[in-house]
Amino acid sequence: MAAAGDTQRQGAPSAVLWDPVVRVLHWALVIAFAAAWGLGKFGPDQMTLHFYAGYTVGAIVVLRVIWGFVGPHTARFASFVRGPSAIAAYARRLPERRPSHSWGHNPVGALFVVGVLVVLALQVTSGLLSDPEDYINVGPLAQYVSYEATQTALALHEPLSTVLLVMVLVHVAAIVFYKRWKGENLVTPMITGRRP
Amino acid sequence: MRKLILATLAAAVPATMVLAQSAEDTVKARQGFFQLIGYEMGGLAAMAKGDVAYDAQTASAHAADLSTLTSLHVGDYFAPGTSNEDLPGKTRALPAIWEDSDGFMERVQALSAAVENMNGAAGEGLDALRPAMGQLGGACKACHDDFRARSF
Repeated sequence: MAAAGDTQRQGAPSAVLWDPVVRVLHWALVIAFAAAWGLGKFGPDQMTLHFYAGYTVGAIVVLRVIWGFVGPHTARFASFVRGPSAIAAYARRLPERRPSHSWGHNPVGALFVVGVLVVLALQVTSGLLSDPEDYINVGPLAQYVSYEATQTALALHEPLSTVLLVMVLVHVAAIVFYKRWKGENLVTPMITGRRP
Repeated sequence: MRKLILATLAAAVPATMVLAQSAEDTVKARQGFFQLIGYEMGGLAAMAKGDVAYDAQTASAHAADLSTLTSLHVGDYFAPGTSNEDLPGKTRALPAIWEDSDGFMERVQALSAAVENMNGAAGEGLDALRPAMGQLGGACKACHDDFRARSF
C-alpha cells in the first residue's frame, strides 16, 4: 500500500522521499560517529565520552534496522535491497552524465547502506566486548565473554574504525560525484525530506 | 685432564646461568610483573566501580603494592631481543619499546606519577580514589596504545 502511494506521488514536488525518522537518524549518526571516532582517536585516556558516543551509534543502528522493517516505503530494506543483477545493471549506468532519479536508495547505494550498518554493528559489538586491560575503559559486556574473546574484540576495534572512515569518505565522494557529474543533489532531500 | 674438566665446569656454570635468563624467561618475568600490577589494579577498580564495598585499608594496601611493584628494577624485564618480532605469539611487547625508548620512558614515568598519586588518595575515601583510578588506568591505556600489540 505504501509502495503504491509513494510511486504515485514520487513525481510531485510535495512527495516525501525520506521520512523524518530516516533523516534524524542519519544526521544523529553523523554527529555520534564523528564524536565516537574523534574521541577514540584523539580523546582523553579516560574514554567515558567515547563510550557514550558508541552507545548512541549502537542505538541509532538498532533503531534504523527496526525502521527498515516497519517504516515507510523508502526506509524499508525490502524496498531497496536488490539482487546482483540489479546492482550490476545500475553500476553499468553509473558513469552516465545524468541524474539517476532513484526514488529511495539506488541498488548500489543500498549495498552501501547494508554494508555500513553491518560494519557499524560489528564495531559497536567489538567495543562492548573489548578489554584493553587498563581497568577503566573495559567494555561493559567484556565480563560475560572469555579473555580471548575480549582480546579478539580489541584487535578488531581499531582496524574497523579505519574501515568505517574509508566508508564515510566513499559516501561523501559519492555525494560529490552525483552533484558534480550527474547533476543530482542528494543532500537537500536528506535535510528537508523532499527533492529540491 | 682433571684441570680441563674443572675449567670446563667453571666456564659452563656462568654460561648456564646466562642461558637460564633466556628471552622466553624474560618474557615470562615481564608478564608475571604485569600480572601482579593487574591484580592490584583489579582490586582498586572493583572499589572504584562499586562492585566491591570501599575499604580504606584494602585500597591503601593495593596502592602500596603498586608502589612496590613500580619501584622494582624493571630494566631487565625489558631486555632487548624480547619483542613480539623476536618471539611471535609469546609476547605483545612492540619493538617500539626499544626503538622509541624515550617515549616509552615517558609512559613509565606517567605510571609512576599515577601510582604515587594513588598512594595519597587510596585511603582517603571513594571520592578521592575514583579520579586517582582514572589517572592510573589512563597511564595503562596510554602505554598499551603505542607499545603493546592488540593481539599475540
